[in-house]
Amino acid sequence: MHGAKKRKIQIGTLYAALGALVLAFLLWQQSFPSITLWLAFAGAFAFFDWRSVEVNDRMLMSPTVMVALTAAVAFGPGTAALGVASMAALGAFSADDVRQRRWFQPIANFGQMVVTAGVSVYILEWFLRQAPDASSGDAFWLWIAGGSAVAATVYGLINYTFVTVAVRAVFEKRDMRPWSNLGQLLPSYLLMGFVGGLLGATYTVLPVVLPLVFVMFIVGYLSFASYGQLREAHEATLRGFIKALEAKDLYTRGHTERVAFFAQLVGEEMGFNGTRLERLRWAALIHDVGKLAVPRDLIRKKGKLTEDEYEELQIHAHVVEEILAEVEFLRPMVEIASSHHSHYDGGGYGGVGHTHGEQPSPEACILAVADAFDAMTSTRSYRMALSQDYAFSELRRHAGSQFDPDVVEALARALSRSTERYGSPHLASEEEARRLAEGTQVTSHG
Amino acid sequence: MGDPRVPIKSPLVPVVWALGSAALAYLLMGETEISILEVGIWAILLAEASLVSLPASSGNRLSLAIAVSAALPFVLISEGSVDLAAAGAASAMGLLGTWMFRTLRSDPAEEVMAAVLRHGFGVAAYLVVYTGSVSLAEIIPGLAGTDWVRLVAFSIAASLWFLIETSLWASMVFGRNRLSRRYLWLLAVKDWAVVLSLLTAGALFGFAWGKPGDPARLGFWAIVIAGIPYGFAHLAFYRSQESRRTYGQTIRALSRIPEVAGLSPKGHSDRTSGMAIEVGQDLGMTPDEVTDLQYSALMHDIGRITLNEPSILKMGFTDEDIARWGAEIVAEAPYLSRVATLVRQQHQPYRRPGEERDLELPLASKIIKATSAYDHATMELGFSPLEALEVLHRGAAYDFDPDVVQTVRRVLERRGVVPA
Repeated sequence: MHGAKKRKIQIGTLYAALGALVLAFLLWQQSFPSITLWLAFAGAFAFFDWRSVEVNDRMLMSPTVMVALTAAVAFGPGTAALGVASMAALGAFSADDVRQRRWFQPIANFGQMVVTAGVSVYILEWFLRQAPDASSGDAFWLWIAGGSAVAATVYGLINYTFVTVAVRAVFEKRDMRPWSNLGQLLPSYLLMGFVGGLLGATYTVLPVVLPLVFVMFIVGYLSFASYGQLREAHEATLRGFIKALEAKDLYTRGHTERVAFFAQLVGEEMGFNGTRLERLRWAALIHDVGKLAVPRDLIRKKGKLTEDEYEELQIHAHVVEEILAEVEFLRPMVEIASSHHSHYDGGGYGGVGHTHGEQPSPEACILAVADAFDAMTSTRSYRMALSQDYAFSELRRHAGSQFDPDVVEALARALSRSTERYGSPHLASEEEARRLAEGTQVTSHG
Repeated sequence: MGDPRVPIKSPLVPVVWALGSAALAYLLMGETEISILEVGIWAILLAEASLVSLPASSGNRLSLAIAVSAALPFVLISEGSVDLAAAGAASAMGLLGTWMFRTLRSDPAEEVMAAVLRHGFGVAAYLVVYTGSVSLAEIIPGLAGTDWVRLVAFSIAASLWFLIETSLWASMVFGRNRLSRRYLWLLAVKDWAVVLSLLTAGALFGFAWGKPGDPARLGFWAIVIAGIPYGFAHLAFYRSQESRRTYGQTIRALSRIPEVAGLSPKGHSDRTSGMAIEVGQDLGMTPDEVTDLQYSALMHDIGRITLNEPSILKMGFTDEDIARWGAEIVAEAPYLSRVATLVRQQHQPYRRPGEERDLELPLASKIIKATSAYDHATMELGFSPLEALEVLHRGAAYDFDPDVVQTVRRVLERRGVVPA
């Protein structure tokens, strides 16, 4: 932890110094834009910057780049870079940071945002100076549109460089893969920058459109925000329900959360992102939902189930799956979840999402490995938890038949990077674990 | 609901429309410097735009035609002021086209007619008020004809349009179901964000498009400038609407888990919530309150999932336990904290012996208590609706709020299961 703190201070100082340098240079070079206009844009910038919306897995969406470039063109050359950089400096300090006494984030953000805004707008200014007069029509608009698209790309690149450096330096363990995300984000940066520049140019010709533009931004933003909130609420609801229902059972408590965690690790390791990763996580969350409807004594029974009992378990599980599959949005997740007992070579019993003899989807394979790994490394009614190494040797032994070998290796790689160890530190055989469980009387708490 | 469809598929229809509307436009426009071709183009745009619609929270569909109409007074200008005749002609032709195109697409005839009428009244008021406000401002020296006057006039006229559109919608839908005018109007007002973005996009386009010869004219760039921001907003509405629907479906699905596990009677939560919604609407709840009521009625028995536990069955349990367990489960989802409170209080009597009635108790909880008891009596105890209602009436001293019981009776009378 000591090293992390030191690196935090280094990064914070470096970023703040860079930001101050850029700001000082601009103060020396440029003059300040009209204060009323600056206040209007600074307000909008801060509003959007403090409330980024997560639209997709870890993809934050915020129209700040659009506001920044609209402001830049509206301010005009000679004042734009200073005006926008000072807006960005203000936006770096949010009320939340002050309240929670965070120092690293606002300081690093200050440097990152001032440099990003200052440099990209400085580039845009070159285009603004080249552009002919507005009365020349299309040529003017093309120069502005091109310049703002270039500036937006630069904005995105600098921003991501700063974020990547900071994240790599401070959170070593987290493998963020930001560059693959950047590929997805760049088109929207480009489009937003392009529109931003055009809106700014419209303002220079027709100042009356400014309130209309703000209304449009805010209404669109509010809807994105409500979409983001609902999406979060949806996941929180499902997660909360499953957690609460699971809590009643001593043995499966936390199982779903852990499987979702392992599945996500493997998914990231195998290069999933965005919707696909989210879908995998959701599938992991509901992979055992069928069991919630099964009488507890059946789930917790020691020893083998009779034929009838097994059938009852299956019926219950499938009925719940069918109910959830009625929700259009959940259907693909239910299909993954219900085929997680299928084997990699096509054997095993499949649910709604799997036909016998067919290779299950990669998602189902991931879920199968995550489920088996957690089952082995946690204590069950019939045996104690096994060690992580034993679990891996078991997974590898069945790789190619029951489990997908790539998935098993991906999990091993992902966990080898983590310092966390799962399962018992010493129990190395199934028999020993079962024998130990016979001796202990586990009582349940309702 | 059956939807009578007008069988108009003949290829002659567009020709008849074009000729008829050209004649109409000629009559309406009289002397003007705007060419009939230009008016025709706007009319076609309006009709085409009416085919692009997006879902709104009220269940009403709002179309892009609103944006096109909003732009009309900005683009149809002759001699420096709005050409009302041309704008009126373009709207009339456009609405005729809307009616025709949507009928050809086999949209329900009644719905198409209602949409055209609403739009017609709304846009007529919008055009007149806009023009009136702009000319009124001419009295004040220095203000005449500035862009800012046009912006203010637009805001006034657009607000009026929104009021007319929502009120008309409420009174058109009123009577087709049992919802009150106020409830329907509140439902329509929930669409403000969509309407606002459509109107704003239209005005933005209108300002930027300008009129020929204006130096500040952006021409075709106006399409990009108004179109892309609107596109973002459109996408956002679409997605948030979609996730709202999905969220409701998930809650419904989760509420059925105790039922398929055999821990709670089949269909009980669905029937209870169906009746609770009707009672809540009758008692003057707002649409948002009704949504909370719906969710909590669906999940009022979710606590029964705990009965899976053999030890609990042995110990025995009360209604209060079920309510508490249910609330604990629901409370795990932060978004549903209001619903959790309603679920927790659903078992409480509205009054206790020797005490005044409990004013803190939410109406929704009282409704769930009564409707759930009614469903229990009819479906499990095998009572007739009248006998079940009698159970509620007898419990009105402490358990069931008499107002709620009265409303349950009214709902049953309306459903025709109990004689009026």
